[in-house]
Amino acid sequence: MVIAERKPWTELRPLEGRMVRLRALEPEDEPRLYEWFNDQEVIATAGGSGYAKSHAQEREWIEKAKNPNFERAEFGVVALVDGELIGTIGLRMTSPENRGANLGLTVGDKSRWNQGYGTDAMRVICRFGFEQMNLHRIELSAYADNRAGIRVYEKVGFKIEGTLRSHAFYGGRYLDGIVMGLLEDELILD
Amino acid sequence: MALMERELIRERPLEGRLVRLRARDLADEPLLWKWINDPEVTQNLMARYPYSHAAETEWLKTQTAPGYGEAGLGIETLVEGRLIGNIGLHRASAEDRRATLGIMIGEGDFRDRGYGTDAMRTLCRFGFAMMNMRRIELDVLATNPRAFHVYEKVGFQLEGTRREALWKFGRWIDIHMMGLHEGELRWD
Repeated sequence: MVIAERKPWTELRPLEGRMVRLRALEPEDEPRLYEWFNDQEVIATAGGSGYAKSHAQEREWIEKAKNPNFERAEFGVVALVDGELIGTIGLRMTSPENRGANLGLTVGDKSRWNQGYGTDAMRVICRFGFEQMNLHRIELSAYADNRAGIRVYEKVGFKIEGTLRSHAFYGGRYLDGIVMGLLEDELILD
Repeated sequence: MALMERELIRERPLEGRLVRLRARDLADEPLLWKWINDPEVTQNLMARYPYSHAAETEWLKTQTAPGYGEAGLGIETLVEGRLIGNIGLHRASAEDRRATLGIMIGEGDFRDRGYGTDAMRTLCRFGFAMMNMRRIELDVLATNPRAFHVYEKVGFQLEGTRREALWKFGRWIDIHMMGLHEGELRWD
């Protein structure tokens, strides 16, 4: 494993990794997002609430997210192998003064789990955040029982910074919230 | 940055030695309207056409909540508590960590007495220490050597000149582009 170097872009593909590329979301993506964000198994990995989502809600969410910008850089995750949309990832609530953002990842297509897609998407968006958006810090939170997710976040360099005790009530029990942070130059590319 | 300025930034981030910078309210409109229609003031600005109270009010409404994207402030004297001008960091680019500075001293009695210099230093310090800017840039007309001197005094460097970029008073005027980087701000 080597820490990411500040090497020049060899190819002008700032949103492409080894397995995925990130693109802006389109209104046409709504049916997939509707399916994923009503799938409790998916939502549990993404720190969502248990409420069902309507098509109207998903349309509105895409409407607000479809133009990535500094304050909110939301993307669709596309598998390079077949061009299929497999999830969403975004840097949100970005503060220009603090140069910090909150990261959210959902791999909605469960057939792609545990194959490295999420890890690759994390690396691409963090590199984009640091090298293109000039961020200093990226933060995320995960439910404590999302061990696969936390492992992925640690693999790309995120450090556990604290535990919010009984932070969320989900599925009949309280779950701790794990807060993780990644500073610029801490990103691990492989 | 001198020790005194380091201390000041924590307790009074918007206060200098002669002035404090404050948010403006709609009640300030008559004064601002007077300034922007005063040729003494506008000869050194890009403005050419007169402003109505309606237009000035519309603009002022965009200024009453200073923030990262638009940090426009009023310059108030510490001694008299009098509003004497405007200053601001505009069009901030978060990725590039830079913004464009604009300033005017509207009250003639307060020109050439150090108020503008102090306001410049106070706002630049705020930009670097509170807004996390890395670079502040500004444009100044070549026909305004007093201002150019002030900008140089606080640390701005001449980076280029747009030749005959402005037509005013029946002649072409050059526009100097100046820039100040973090760590280059000078207090004395």
